[in-house]
Amino acid sequence: MTPAAATPSSPAVSIEALRKDYGAIRALGGATLTVRKGEVFGLVGPNGAGKTTLIKAICGILKPTAGRVTVLGFDAGRDRYRLRRRLGYMPQAPALYEDLSPYENLTFFGKGYRTEDLRGRIRLVLGFVELWDRRDDPLHTFSGGMRQRVSLACALLRDPELLILDEPTAGVDPALKQTFWRHFQELKQRGRTIFLSTNMMEEAMRCDRVAVIRAGRILITEAPEAIRSRGRTEITLELAGGGRRVEEAAAYAEELPRLLSGYGLSSEVRRIRIRRPDLEEVILSMIGQKEAGAGKVKTHTGDDPPAGGTAPSATPEDHT
Amino acid sequence: MIASVKAIAVRINRQFLRDRRFLGLSLMVPLLIMLLIKYVLDSLPGLERLGVHVSDYAMFFAAYLVHFLAYVLSTIVLVGDRTTGTLARMFVYGYRRREIVFGYVGGYSTIAAGQTAFILVLTKYLFDINLLPDIVPVALTMFSLAVVSVDLGVFISNFARNEGQVIPFIPLVILPTALLSGIAIPIGDLPTVLQWCSYVIPLRYAVEVLNAVLVNHQPFRDNLAPFLILVGIGAGLLATASFTLKERE
Ligand SMILES: Nc1ncnc2c1ncn2[C@@H]1O[C@H](COP(=O)(O)OP(=O)(O)O)[C@@H](O)[C@H]1O
Ligand SMILES: [Mg+2]
Repeated sequence: MTPAAATPSSPAVSIEALRKDYGAIRALGGATLTVRKGEVFGLVGPNGAGKTTLIKAICGILKPTAGRVTVLGFDAGRDRYRLRRRLGYMPQAPALYEDLSPYENLTFFGKGYRTEDLRGRIRLVLGFVELWDRRDDPLHTFSGGMRQRVSLACALLRDPELLILDEPTAGVDPALKQTFWRHFQELKQRGRTIFLSTNMMEEAMRCDRVAVIRAGRILITEAPEAIRSRGRTEITLELAGGGRRVEEAAAYAEELPRLLSGYGLSSEVRRIRIRRPDLEEVILSMIGQKEAGAGKVKTHTGDDPPAGGTAPSATPEDHT
Repeated sequence: MIASVKAIAVRINRQFLRDRRFLGLSLMVPLLIMLLIKYVLDSLPGLERLGVHVSDYAMFFAAYLVHFLAYVLSTIVLVGDRTTGTLARMFVYGYRRREIVFGYVGGYSTIAAGQTAFILVLTKYLFDINLLPDIVPVALTMFSLAVVSVDLGVFISNFARNEGQVIPFIPLVILPTALLSGIAIPIGDLPTVLQWCSYVIPLRYAVEVLNAVLVNHQPFRDNLAPFLILVGIGAGLLATASFTLKERE
């Protein structure tokens, strides 16, 4: 689906059976996932699911209890120094110096590795997060969202081939969020890989692929549309006699003809209303371990174009 | 390596100079404490008659203060770097352990040097000590002590997960130092076991040098041994801190 992923190159990130225990707390319980080069990959899950822990493992600042993490072909533990040179990392908390200005913060973090044309880069990235005018104000005069923007600018400083962003848009206003996403897409066009975590579903929808994480385990990794189609679609048949039948189908596109033939596809069926769950509902039901029809559904792969008329209905039906 | 160390030291000094309240406190606290010490010592009757010169002790207390402040300061700030995530960010952005440790020591040593100079001047005027003839050895000793204190802070910061956890480590270092360094009780008067213990107290060596130079008016070159031990402790702690600074959770 993604053009860059078509090349049989090594994955950007490959995590195998990653486990991390903090004393008695198991933060990750055998997480496995693969991120392809050139995709925007979303890690979606509730608070405490293990997103930050997993991200730290990718950046080589976590000592896994067990399992393996390979990033851009490097072992995230042994080869962490070579790996980090090619990473951009935005931690969940802004992690910047409050007494210093954005310019000073970026100058400092840009010097860890030699950054070509550091001043030019700082100008560029601060311009992108729309904070160039505030470059010399101390950070403690900034709002949370503004700090978040400085933090993102910092991650973009070296134009890394792999960007690791831990909840990048948390606390960022909607307009700027759009700008962020436009920029993510633009980075992707330039062949960069983006790995981000989020607990916002509308963001997950914009990723090429999404991994759902809960309690330290990856439940599923797929294109968001494919995940969505795993949800049970509710089909309400209103009959001529005034009766009404409600059917549920896991993959309604295949199920619908069979369902309808049960009624002889006759004029008896006046209207078919379809309510598909949105991604948020599907993921929430997965996380809640409710039966989301995941078991028997034929896998809807992401290359299945969203069929016409599948837009979620604005009229949720209540029944039974 | 050098560029990174410098970047860290510069950043720390910049932060420090930006923080007005902190800057003010770090000068006010020594001022108040030295005034208090002078007041207490002056009010003790009969000290002079016993042949004890208050001014002899002043420099020891000043050294103690330098040690204490530099140690606490560097521990707290480095632990803060860990809790806010800036330390992790430094690692991911290419700073290496050794560079970080050296950068911190470099950065705080300049701060400590400033503080030390202030305390030296303060002591000179409050206690009317003629420092000028011995200013080089005294300044060298005080500065080395400050470096040792920062090293110790970097090392100890590995064991505290947050700023609150730093607190138990303060008396752990500061109390034995007060009792075993020779500032309160002459080391020769301590029980043998405690005399042995005093060998691991960095302040002991600084006090030895100061005592020889300022009180007994011996030349510095005859008292290089304790000075070099102090420097050695600094180097040892520095190496240990570089190896122990935790990079991965
Ligand atoms: N340093 C730590 N010490 C102990 N437990 C931790 C630590 N970091 C994370 N955890 C625990 O690991 C789990 C996952 O945390 P985290 O990765 O931060 O989740 P998320 O980022 O998805 O909100 C949580 O239960 C959290 O309490
Ligand atoms: Mg998190």
